[in-house]
Amino acid sequence: MILVIDAINRHQHEAIVEDMFRLRARVFAQRLDWDVKIENDMEIDEFDALDPVYLVGLDENANVVSCIRLLQTTGPHMLADVFSDILQGEAPLRAATMWESTRFCVDTERLTTADRGQGSVARATSELMSATLQYARDCGISDIITVIDPVMNRVLKRSDNAPYGYVGETVQMGKTKAMAALLDCTDERIERVRAFAGIEGDVFVDEAALIAQRETVNTPTETTAEALAQYFIDQIDSAASVDELRAALEIAEAVLGSPKLGRQLVGNTNASSEQV
Amino acid sequence: MTLLLDELCERLELDYAAYAGVNSIDNSMHALVNYPLSWKQHYQDNALHMRDPTLLHGARSQAPVHWGRLKNDTLYKPMFSQAHDFGIPQQGVTIPVRGPFGDKGMLSVTRRMQPLDWDKHVQRILPDLQHAAAHIHDLVMQQGLIMRAMRAPSLSSRETEILQWTAAGKSHSDISDILSISARTVEVHVRSARFKLGALTTAQAVARAIGMGLIYPM
Repeated sequence: MILVIDAINRHQHEAIVEDMFRLRARVFAQRLDWDVKIENDMEIDEFDALDPVYLVGLDENANVVSCIRLLQTTGPHMLADVFSDILQGEAPLRAATMWESTRFCVDTERLTTADRGQGSVARATSELMSATLQYARDCGISDIITVIDPVMNRVLKRSDNAPYGYVGETVQMGKTKAMAALLDCTDERIERVRAFAGIEGDVFVDEAALIAQRETVNTPTETTAEALAQYFIDQIDSAASVDELRAALEIAEAVLGSPKLGRQLVGNTNASSEQV
Repeated sequence: MTLLLDELCERLELDYAAYAGVNSIDNSMHALVNYPLSWKQHYQDNALHMRDPTLLHGARSQAPVHWGRLKNDTLYKPMFSQAHDFGIPQQGVTIPVRGPFGDKGMLSVTRRMQPLDWDKHVQRILPDLQHAAAHIHDLVMQQGLIMRAMRAPSLSSRETEILQWTAAGKSHSDISDILSISARTVEVHVRSARFKLGALTTAQAVARAIGMGLIYPM
């Protein structure tokens, strides 16, 4: 699922944002060896101070598995100010309906263990890509210029999402290369990418549900099990007759069924019997 | 310049439009609105721009801000209940524009209509609003002399080349064949050149580029 984070809702998702910066550090510093600044295991640059839009891919446990960053091309952005090598010193494309996407990455380690067997990397890429195109389209944007490495370029081509063009040159950057590719935010491309990856329905996270889920996760599940065991112990303790005691025991065994709890209950039962 | 806003409201079927921008070079603030005079006066007298959630959030956004997203902000209710008293609709969207030199602008538009209809309407006009916001911001920034000098259009050689072929009467698909690039790549370069030259149409962009000596008349 994809979560959209910007300056308006960022305060509600600080942990996810930090997770995203850590993923970027693992990918861009460690794996690709790009010349990026790392602080506290997080990769953050000056463009993160411009209140960009982030699209973050989350797994079912709300772990960050992918991310991308969007900036207007009319303002400061990486191709204009940092990746000038790619443009060979030429002026960048600037248009009100074109955004730049950078720091596009997918957590290959987490995905290969968690989602094995689903063509996970390509699927996570397709989900993030189609969501990005969809989000941009819904903001009135018609094209995205994206800075990617050749591996990501191949993933895009193989997932029916081939760029319609490139700008500038492919240049060496760290252990890999970087290039600027063009993608249109048309319904046709969005449908193609979704169809290729078998994505159906809404991929965007229901924010209210995510925040609610976060609150329940904070309550440990052991507490529930303990409370349940305590409930049966209380039932057994307060049994007023042998029939009630037997009934309480049967229910407790049926529900809990674990030998450990069984022993615990038997101990209590003996105590109760004496009282009876 | 408020005529621009009237024209925009007319063309995109909107009630009101407001532009606010900051020139980052001389720190001057600029505002254009076509709201009713009474609301304009009330807004100014009470310095509401300091407490206007659409401006505060718009200034920190890259994507359009739908006003419905701001409902949880403590400033939302006080602002919109006042606006309501002056007949200003609660439904609106603010389009932020970032300029190359740290300059920022925002175009806010609003219209009284059913919420679902409004959502559909906004969706349809957003691309136009993006262009309009960038265009108005550019015109306002050009009023500052230093900013105007800094914003002198810098076309890439690809943009110049494509504009030169356009001046020679070639279509996008002709140019795409000539340069062996896709027609859409040609189109985004033309779009970018239009934006940089402050032109609304390609013909205007060609004329301006000729006027500035960037390409030759053919």
